[in-house]
Amino acid sequence: MKKLLLLAAFVTTPCLSQDLTHPLEMGLPDSDYQRPDPVESQLALDNGLVAYVAKADQVPLVTMSAFIRAGKVSDEKQGAAESLQDALENSGPSGMSSSEFQLSLTQMAADFVVEMHDEWTEITLNVPAEDLDRALPIFAGLLRHPAISDANIERAAESVAPVARFDMDAAVERFSAIIYKDHPYGMRPTTDNFKNLQVKDVADFRAKYFVPGNMTIAVAGAINTQEIRGRLVDLFGDWDGADIPDVKQMPAVTRSEATLHHVPSHKLQSWMVIGLDLPPVPLEDQAALDVMNYILGAEHLKTRLMVETRYKYGYTNDASVFLEDHWYGPSGYTVRSYSRPEVIENIYENIMGELVRIRSEEVTEQELFIARGALADGEFPVRYLDGYALARSFALERLRYGNHDRSASYVQRVRAVSQDDVVNVARKYLRPDNMQVILFGEEAFELE
Amino acid sequence: MRSIRNLPILAVAFFISTASAQDYKLPILEHVYENGLRLLVIERPGESRVVSKIFTDMGALNETPGQFGAAHFLEHLMFKGTPTLGALDWEREKKLHERIRAAEDALINELNRSRNDLRQRGVFHDYQHEETTPEIDEQRALIDSLNQQVQELSEEGPQSIWYMAYGGTGLSATTEQEYMKFDIDLPVDRIELFLRIEADRMRNSVFRNFDAERMVLVEQRLGDLNGVATEFREAMNSLVGRASMVYVPEGYSNDFQQYTRRYERALFETYFVPNNTTLIFIGGVTLDEMIPKVEKYFGYMERAPEPARYEGREPLPSAEKRLIWRSDTLSPRVEVRYQIPGVGHPDRPLFDVLAEAFEVQLQSTMTDAGVEGTVDINTLVVHTSRFGAPASINIELVLEDGLQTDIAEELLLAELQRLGEEPLPAERISAAQKKLRTEWYRKAVDPYELAYQIGHFEVMDSWRTLKPYLEARDAATADDLQRLADKYFIDINRSVGVVLAVEAEQ
Repeated sequence: MKKLLLLAAFVTTPCLSQDLTHPLEMGLPDSDYQRPDPVESQLALDNGLVAYVAKADQVPLVTMSAFIRAGKVSDEKQGAAESLQDALENSGPSGMSSSEFQLSLTQMAADFVVEMHDEWTEITLNVPAEDLDRALPIFAGLLRHPAISDANIERAAESVAPVARFDMDAAVERFSAIIYKDHPYGMRPTTDNFKNLQVKDVADFRAKYFVPGNMTIAVAGAINTQEIRGRLVDLFGDWDGADIPDVKQMPAVTRSEATLHHVPSHKLQSWMVIGLDLPPVPLEDQAALDVMNYILGAEHLKTRLMVETRYKYGYTNDASVFLEDHWYGPSGYTVRSYSRPEVIENIYENIMGELVRIRSEEVTEQELFIARGALADGEFPVRYLDGYALARSFALERLRYGNHDRSASYVQRVRAVSQDDVVNVARKYLRPDNMQVILFGEEAFELE
Repeated sequence: MRSIRNLPILAVAFFISTASAQDYKLPILEHVYENGLRLLVIERPGESRVVSKIFTDMGALNETPGQFGAAHFLEHLMFKGTPTLGALDWEREKKLHERIRAAEDALINELNRSRNDLRQRGVFHDYQHEETTPEIDEQRALIDSLNQQVQELSEEGPQSIWYMAYGGTGLSATTEQEYMKFDIDLPVDRIELFLRIEADRMRNSVFRNFDAERMVLVEQRLGDLNGVATEFREAMNSLVGRASMVYVPEGYSNDFQQYTRRYERALFETYFVPNNTTLIFIGGVTLDEMIPKVEKYFGYMERAPEPARYEGREPLPSAEKRLIWRSDTLSPRVEVRYQIPGVGHPDRPLFDVLAEAFEVQLQSTMTDAGVEGTVDINTLVVHTSRFGAPASINIELVLEDGLQTDIAEELLLAELQRLGEEPLPAERISAAQKKLRTEWYRKAVDPYELAYQIGHFEVMDSWRTLKPYLEARDAATADDLQRLADKYFIDINRSVGVVLAVEAEQ
C-alpha cells in the first residue's frame, strides 16, 4: 500500500526537474505547411485586372493596395515617374482638390503610402472599416484619374537636390552610382530634366502604364469579401483594357575590378559597403542562393558574417547581406557594416574571408538544416500569415511572373538544396575580383 | 531544506477579460502559477503560428550609477547560450569560467583600490581613454586569454539557431527602462521549443564572450550618437527628470568598461525568477493546452524573494528649467516638456488625446502666425512612448528659421495658457480620438505588436490596465483636457530647450 501511494505521488507531481532535452531530440514534428491556394482569393476582371481579396477581421481596418509595373526607370522623359509619385502622394484623384484629398485622409485617420521602386510602384491605403465607402472611390480615382499639375513637377524637382550625408544610406547610394554607372538603373533626373518636363509628359507616362493589365490589387481586412469583389467590379470593370506595355529588359552592367572607393569622413563611426552586381537569377538557382545568403549573412543573428565580425571580436553591431531585387535586370548584392574607425579594416578582412570561404568550402550539414528550416518553415509561411500578407504576396507574384508557380514550388525547392548547390551558386555569383568597396571613413586601406 | 526541484506549481488564479467594449477585442486569458509565473494567452483557433514573448520586470530602472546600461548588456549576454546549448565541452569550459571569475575578483579589488585615481583622472573618459593601472591591465589580459579558450569550446548563437531551424521568425530582444523581453514567432506545433529555450535561458545563461560583447554596446552607443538630435534629447531628458537613471536606458560609454560579470550575475539571479516573469502567447494555442506545457518547463522553479521594484520618485517641481543648445547640424527648435504621471494613473491616457488634439491646433496657429515649421507632441523617453514611472509630455517645434525661436516659444506658451482657459473644440477631440483608436488597431492587428503592448502594460502597471486605458481615451472630454492643462502645464513643471545655430551666437 505504501508503495502504491508513493507511486501515485510520483505520477501526480507535475515536474521535478528542468527539461533540458536538446532541440534535435525533442521530437518536434515535421512541418506540414501548405501555402494557401491563390484561386480562393483571386478575382480576374475581363479587362485584365487581377485582384486578391481576403478577410482579416481581428480589427476593424481595411487595407487596399495597388501594384503597378512602372517605376523610376520606366519613364521615357526623365522626371515623369517622380512627378507622378508626387501627384499620387499629394494631389489625389481628379475632381478633388489637393486640400480636400488631404483632409479626407486626415478625417479617415488613413495611413497612405506611395512607394516607387525602379520597376514597380506600390500604393497602399489603410483606413477604418467604417470609412470603406469613402476610401474605395478615392483609391480607384488615384489609379484611374490622378490629378497632375505643375506643382507636382516643381515639388519633385526640389527633392532631387543633393544633400551631403555620412551614413549607411549614403554609402549604399554611392555603391549604386558605381555599379550602375551609365546604366538605366543609375540614371536619376536632374533639375534640367524637370525644367523640360510638361504635365502632359507625366500624364502620358501614367496613361501608358496605369492600365488594368499592368497592375494587380490586394484588398484585405474587416470586409465581406463577396461585397468587395462586387465593388471592385463596379469601380474598375469599365476601365478600358488598353495595351499592356512591353516589359523593359535591362542590359547587363559593365563590370570593374575590385576597387576601394574612399570618401573621407570624420565621424564617430565608419560605414562600409562591399558588393557587386548580380545578373538576373534564374529559377533553378533561386532557392540555393537564398540558402547561401541565409548562411552567409541574411538579416538574422547567427550568420557567418555576424560571428566573424560581431560575436567573436565585438567589431560591429551588424554585418549583413542585402540583395536588391530588380525584376528585369541586374541587381546589387551588398554586405554592409559599420564600426568605430579603428577596426573597419578588420571587418573588411573578415568579411572577405567569409566570402572566399563560402566559395571554397562546403557548408556544414547543420548550417544547411537550419537554413532550410528557417526559409521553408519560417520566412516563407509568414508571407501568407494573414489576409493582407497573403493578398499582397499573391498580387506581387502575379504582376511579376504572371502566375503562382514559383511560390507553389518554393518549399520543395528549398528542401532540395544540397551542399554542392550552395558552393556552386557562391562560385557563380560571388566574384571577389569584382567586389567594390565603399568606405565612408577616416583612412583608406589596401584591398586584399 | 526544501529542494527547488520539488516544488509543484498549481493554478491559483484564472481570469477571463470579457470584452465589454466591442471595439477593443482583448480576450486575454490568465493563469498564475504557485511559483508566481504569469501566463497570458489570446487564443486564435485555426492560426498556424503563435507569437511568444517572455517579459521580465526589470530594466534600466534597476541599475545603479556607474553601471548604467547594465540591464541592456545583460540582454546581450543572455544570447550566449547555456551549458546545454552552445557548449562543445562543458566540463572543460566550466573550469575556465571559474578561473575567469577569480581573475575578475582580482580585477574588481584593484578597481576598488584605485577608484579615486580612476574617477579623478578619468572624469571625461570614454572607451578609448580608459584610465588603468598595471594590475588592471594584467588581470584584463588574463581574462582575455581565458575568453579565447572559452570561444574555442563553444559555439555562437546557440539559442537562435534552433529557433531558426524550426521555423522561428521575428527573434528579438529588447531592454528598456522597465523590462527585458525575448520573443519569437513559431509554428504552433513547435511551441515547446520556446519553453525549452527560454526556461533554460532564464536559469542557466552562461556569459560567454563578455568583453567582445561589451564593444558591441560601444558600437550601438556610437550609432546613437551619430543621430544629430541624440545629445540634445539626452540633455533634455536629464533636465526634466531628477531621478536621472530613468532617462539613461542604454548607458554611457564610460560605464561600459566598468561592467563586471559579478554585477551582471547579481542582476540575473535577482530578477530572472518566476514571480517576476510573464509569458504571453497569441495564436493557434489555447490556455488549457499551454498550462501543462509551461508547467513542464518552468514548473520546477521555486518562487524567489520578491525582487525590489524601482521606487524612485520625482521630487515636486520647484522651478522652470531652461537649456540653450548650440548646433550647426540640428534644426532650430523650441521644445517644452512637462512631467506627467505614468501608466496606471487615471490622467495618463488623457494626455494621449490632449497631445493629438493640441498638435493640430498648434500647427494651425503657427501657420496663421507666419512661423514656418512642424509640430510634434509626444511622450517619448528615448525609445518608449509610455512609461510606468513618471514621464513627460514633449512639445517640439522644429523651425525653418532660426530667428523665429523667440516668437515660436511665445506662441507656444500662449497656446498652452489658452488650453487651460478655453476648452478644445469637440470635433478636434473627436478627430484625435479616432486617430488614436485607428493607430491602436494598426498595432493590435499584428499579434507581435499586440503581445508587446500587453507585456509592456504588465510591467508598467498591469495588463488589466490596457483596456481601460484605451477606453479612457475614447471617453475623454474637453473638460478633462482643460483640467490637465490647469494641473500640469504650470511654470514650475516646465523644462524648455531652445536650439540655436552656432553662428547666431557670434
